[in-house]
This record gives sequence, C-alpha cells and structure tokens, in this order.
Amino acid sequence: MKDGYTNEDLLLVWLAACAELDERAKNEIAQVCARGVSAKQLEKICGALIQTGTNRVYKDDCAAIRQEAEGYLLRLSGAGGFAVTLAGTDYPESLRAIPDPPLALFCAGKRELLNGRKFCIVGSRMLPAWAQAAGKKISSELSERFAVVTGIAEGGDRAAIDGAVASGKLICVLPCGLDVDYPASHASLKREIAKRGLLVSEVPLGVRAQKFSFHARNRILAGLSEGVLVLAAGERSGALITADRALAYGREVFALPHNAGAAQGAGCNELIKQGAYLCTDAGDIFAAFGMERAQRPAVQLTPQEETLLAELRLAGEAHAAVLAGRAGIPVWEAQAVLASLELKGLAVRAGGNQYAALKA
Amino acid sequence: MIAKIVCFALQGLEGVPVEVETDVAKGIPAYEMVGLPDAAVKESKERVRSAIRNSGLLFPLGKITVNFAPADIRKEGAAFDLAVAVSLLKASEQLVGAQTENTVLLGELALDGSVRPIAGLLPILISAKAHGYTRFVVPAGNAKEAAYLRGAQIYPVRTLAETVAFLLGSASLAPLSPEKFEPHLHARQTADLKFVKGQPVARRALEIAVAGGHNLLLVGPPGTGKTMLARCLPTVMPDLTFDEALEITKIHSVAGTLGEDGIVSERPFRTPHHTATTVAMCGGGNRVVRPGEISLAHGGVLFLDELPEYKRSTLEALRQPLEDGKITVARAGGTFTFPARFMLCASMNPCPCGNYGSADKVCTCSPAEIRRYRRKISGPLLDRIDLQVEVDNVPYEALASDSRQESSAAVRERVNVARAIQNVRFEESGIRTNAEMSERELAAYCRLSGEGEEILREAFERMKLSARARSRILKVARTIADLAASEEILPAHVYEAVSYRLGDSLE
Repeated sequence: MKDGYTNEDLLLVWLAACAELDERAKNEIAQVCARGVSAKQLEKICGALIQTGTNRVYKDDCAAIRQEAEGYLLRLSGAGGFAVTLAGTDYPESLRAIPDPPLALFCAGKRELLNGRKFCIVGSRMLPAWAQAAGKKISSELSERFAVVTGIAEGGDRAAIDGAVASGKLICVLPCGLDVDYPASHASLKREIAKRGLLVSEVPLGVRAQKFSFHARNRILAGLSEGVLVLAAGERSGALITADRALAYGREVFALPHNAGAAQGAGCNELIKQGAYLCTDAGDIFAAFGMERAQRPAVQLTPQEETLLAELRLAGEAHAAVLAGRAGIPVWEAQAVLASLELKGLAVRAGGNQYAALKA
Repeated sequence: MIAKIVCFALQGLEGVPVEVETDVAKGIPAYEMVGLPDAAVKESKERVRSAIRNSGLLFPLGKITVNFAPADIRKEGAAFDLAVAVSLLKASEQLVGAQTENTVLLGELALDGSVRPIAGLLPILISAKAHGYTRFVVPAGNAKEAAYLRGAQIYPVRTLAETVAFLLGSASLAPLSPEKFEPHLHARQTADLKFVKGQPVARRALEIAVAGGHNLLLVGPPGTGKTMLARCLPTVMPDLTFDEALEITKIHSVAGTLGEDGIVSERPFRTPHHTATTVAMCGGGNRVVRPGEISLAHGGVLFLDELPEYKRSTLEALRQPLEDGKITVARAGGTFTFPARFMLCASMNPCPCGNYGSADKVCTCSPAEIRRYRRKISGPLLDRIDLQVEVDNVPYEALASDSRQESSAAVRERVNVARAIQNVRFEESGIRTNAEMSERELAAYCRLSGEGEEILREAFERMKLSARARSRILKVARTIADLAASEEILPAHVYEAVSYRLGDSLE
C-alpha cells in the first residue's frame, strides 16, 4: 500500500478526519474496531455513513473515500505528520485497551515512542514553584525508563516537558490539530517537541481546541500511560479528570503531597486520601513498577551550602533573610549560596525572596 | 550710525555668537528686525521700546533696522533684549564713549527697564569664554549661576539704566567673585536608607548598583517601598565633582529647571510619569530643542516607576542612550547631542494583580497573563538591566520596630571605596565604572578561576542566558568583588551576581 498505509488505515483515517462524525458515533465504531476489523466491515460502515450523510457527491464508493483519505494524509505528511490507526500495528496497545480508543492518532515526531513504556505527568496550569521544580526533576529521571506523556499547556505540562525534552522521550498529546499553535506562546516549544519527541492528536488538522477537547484529550493521556502522576491540582482541576480516567482504565495513580491549606494542591491530597500513591520522587514510581532506581551521583556541597540547605530543609520554605539569620551570614552571601543550591537542583525560588527546599 | 553688540544664541547645549547690528537712519519712523528672529525675539521690539522710555532714555525716532548675524541660524527667546536695547542706544548716539567692545550682553527686559533672568545662561557663558570673550553683563537674577564660571569678569545688572551707567563708566559695578563649589548646598534630601525597614536583599542590590554604575530593576508587590528605595539611590552615590556639577547644570540651565542655587549640587533624581512621550523622555521640541528627562537625569538617576506602564516605543528609545551615554536629537532646526549618562532604576509589580510570589496574598493571574505583563518590557531592555531584585512585603514587626538600619552615609563610604578601585583600574580606559566595560576590558579585568567559569557555564545553560547577559553577570561579579576589596572574582561573587538575574530564571 501507498506509504505503508493499508486499506483499513485509509478507511479509518477517513472516518477520523473527514467523515465529520460526532463523538458517540466514533466511539461506537471504535468499540467495534478495537476487537479487530476487516476492510470489508469498514467499507460497510463507511457506505452506511455515506447513505445517511448529506451533501456527499459520491454514493457507496470506497474508491472516492480512499482518495479523500489519501488527500488528507498528503496534507498531514506535508505538515510533517503521520497517522496511526486502530487497525495498524503501531497503535499503542495500552490505548487500544481502553473502552473508547481514538480511531486514529495523528502524530509528528518519533514513531518508536508510541510502543515503548509510557508514563503520564500532569498538573494544573498554576502550581507552586517547588511542585514545578519537583515535576521537572521527576520527569527528567522518569524519561530514562519511560516516555513521558503530557499535554502542552503551562504549569504542570511545562514542568514535564522541560524535564523530558532533553532526552527526547516525550509525548505531548494536543487538544487541537497538529498544525494549531495552542497555546500560542508554546509554538516554538511545539516545534522542538516534534523534532525531539512526539506530538500526538486525535483531532484532524486545523481543528482548534474547544472546551470539551481537553476532556477527550485527557482520556488519551491516561490511556497511553501505565501510570499518571499529578503534580498539582485544585479541587476542580482538569488534571483530576486524567487521574480519574487512569483509575477507570486500571492504571496506577500517583500524586505529590501538598500543604493541607493550599488550594492548588487540594486535588492531589484528595487523590492520596482515596488511595493514590504518595510520590515524593521518581524512586516512588520506579518502586511501584518494581524497578530499581539507578544510583545517582552524589551532589558535592560546600560546608556553607550544607548549613544553609539544612536550615532550608528544616523550614521547608523560608525567606532568604531568615535563612541568612539562622546560618549567621549576611543576606547577600545567603543569596549567593541559595543561587548555587538552585543551580544544583536542591532549592527553588518560590517567588519574592522566598526559597523552597527540593528533594535530592 | 551703525552699532554692533555681541550676544549669544543657544543651540542645544552650545552657545553661538550672534552680532546684533542696529542702524538708525533718517526717514519715516519704522522699526524692523531681520536675521531669522522668532516670535519672542520680534516681540522684544515692544519690550525694548518701553524699557528705554521708562529708564529715562530716548527711544530714537527714525528708520530703525536691527539685524541678527549670522542670519542663517534661528534666534529664539528673550535673551537678546538687553543687547538690542544697548545697540539701539549706541546707534542713536546715547552711549558715546561707552565700552561695549568684547562685552557680551545677555538679559530679558521688563517694561519698566528692569533686567530679568534668562534660561541657559551658564552654557552660553561657557561657550562664550571658549570663543574668547571674558567680559559679560548678565541679569542679577542669574548671578548665582554665572558665579560658577572661572576666569571671566561678570557684571550682574538689575536695570537697563544701571547697565547704561556701567557701560558709560559713570557708575562702577563689582564683578562677581567666583563661587566655590560645595556639594549639597541644601540639607541632604530627606530620603535616607536608615528609614528603609528590612529589605536586606534590595539594599545590597542598591549598593552594588551604585558602586558599579549598574542599572537596577525592583520587582515587588504594591506598597512595599520600591519608590522609597529608589529615592535613596542619589544619597548613596558619590558626591558631585565641580566638573560634573557644571555639566549637569548646563543641561538644567537650558531646560530652565535650574533652582535658586544657580548650580546643581545634588545628583538629579528624575521620575517622569509613565504617560511621558518619547520626546519628553529623549529631548526634542518643535523649534527649540530641549533636553529630555534622560538628559536631565545625567549624572544621576532616572527612575521609571511601574515600568510596564510606559509606552513600549518610549522604553525602546532608551536603549541607545543606555549604551552610549548620550542622545542625539535630529530636528529640522539642526542636530543636537545631549549627554545622558544616567543610572536607570525601574520598578514593577511581579504580575498584573501584584501578588505573585507574595507570602501572604494569593495571586489571581494566570501564567500567560504574567508572561504578557512581563513581555511589555522587551528582552533587549531587560538585558541592559544588570540587577533585578525582588522587594518583599515587609512584615509588620519590622515596620513598627524603631531599630534604625544602616544609614546612606555608611553605604556611601563603601561605594566610594569601590569607586576608587575602579578609578585606578580604568585610569587609561577612559571609562569610569564597571558597568561601562567593553569586551576588551572584560577580558582584562574579569578573569574567572576554573571554578567560577564552571559556575557561569552551568548558569548559562540552565538559565538559557544570552551572551550579553553573561557579560553583564561578569560585570556585576566584578563590582561585588570590588566591594569586597578582592582582586580576584571568587565563585561566591559569581553566584551572587547570578542570583540577581531574576528575569532570566522567570523568562
């Protein structure tokens, strides 16, 4: 077949991208297809759709359908993408296992990531600085074993991206078409991910993100992954939907513990209460999957850094002046030491001159 | 008879000699002015006529022609009144035997014959002296300003009658005795670091900024004392030297903002409002080109409160003067260069609601909003601000406590020491502060040890710094080392310098 797409692929691409089906119809077809489907059956489905559909110039003509699908795939490859369908062998097994898998995934980047081990990191768009830094660290460590799956928004998604993008083991699932820049400020980031990792979307090219598309996208996040880590989530955060889907699909759910009073972490704490794994570093996740955490090189600290880090650990989060007072050094020296701790990944600036300790 | 009197016209900060030629001829009484005078100069006709009459002198009857030479430069303002009046009197033979050669007459006339002060006297006097004139008649109201010119005989006059008597030699006037320059003619400004509660980080940044001539950005929630900190900047800067004071006074004299002292003895602190236009900021004007806020801040501080509220184009216009220390304003009337070596201090909120990073208040802005707010300040401008610090909410106890903090004077002493080190270092380079170092000087004076280089490399990669940001960090590290009287830049100095690059870590 042309470009490695089979007859079934073409029909599924047509159904996913050109047929203008609603969600329910797509789900019904997906449920049939997930059990394995022949080209003949698909042709039948397409034919039935054409007969009920309006304004279609062709009648029960699968050649026309294939032509339309090929045209779409041509556009897709023009945009640097490719399609993977439920009937294809590259379609991730974990996603095929969910009750409502997408008919086809439109991707750009490294195809091989689709079938490796995958782990999802999500978080709300506004999250505390320490959670952002911790997420980045965990993501970077996880990407040694897993492909990190996440969205492409600010905040939690961004932490996961920043951690994993260097290794290239990163899958970003978009709520919009592959060629739509959402959010606009991440346009160049998106291009970088397409180059180093993988962009995935179930919506056709040119379709903008709608409110409901995030919901649908979150099921792909959960469906792709063996587990989900929630960095931060308010009580009604979208990250909780991903966790909820993961539970429904029988995947593991992890959450960072938060300050009991912090609204930004209420959802995470609730998840832990309900039985999610409490996660403080990547080791917790590796342990849950029965993996050994790799030995990590010890960070070299000067005596002054040791003292200040100890003080910071005691306080959890403290003002530079307070830390300086406790360590008995001038503030600017403390600032310098804290800057070096920040570069070593042991502390993070939490807004103002507040600093928060990070787990090594 | 034709009479010639020398006067000076102001072009930017330079005075240009102008000859006022007057001819009184027989004919139908008329009074003409030629030689490109502007409206204010032409109006001098009426002022001169009344002043002469009211001084008990005779306004000549006849065809009067006043010519300003050279005719190709535009003459502005009322500073020619006195010269016109005297040349009229001389042309009508009322000043026989008067000594008017090589005497520059400057002043505006009132209808009753009294002489009013003019703007821009000091720059005129300085230029005139450079042209070889040493005898001046100036308004008594400008006497204080004029007294700072050395090596010239300057006679202050109150009225036209007094001027005539002096020129005729019938009355003697004492020339001004040169004034000795004293910094801080008035009591120091009320701002002082000892009144600033808490803020150890910002205080330190302030000290570094002044010591090395670096620009400073204060980021903090509303009401945390950013403005108060900024107002303390001039109080920790080194005292003005006479040459500096003269240079600054020239600018303020032209702008007409010179106070009663006649000289600027305090470092300027300019706070243009954020509605200021680019012309107000950089200088310009329709015909008369006046220095803008950045030139008025020359030698001192330009404080831009709420930086993101300024018009983008206005802020971008600051980039070139920040590098060059001067601004060139080109207008139809000519091209003028004003000095503009100022220290930029700016303040802003961390986000639109002002509470981002606040310990006790919740920020309601989305990351995109915060980024949009910060993007209002372009990267190139932010790159030129070496020190970016967070100003925190001061806890109530610190506000209420009466314990006074270190005073500006104590900080200024340390600054002076650091500046002295720099003066020795840059003796042959023609620059004054670390902030002005070029790549050549950076290579010579900012060598890092292996460890320091490693830190900088790591920061460079982690914070995705630009090449310019890297050299800025080096310069700040150099200043921190100077404050510590350290020949070498130690790793701790580099770390501290890195900790002031807030903007890069927050992107």
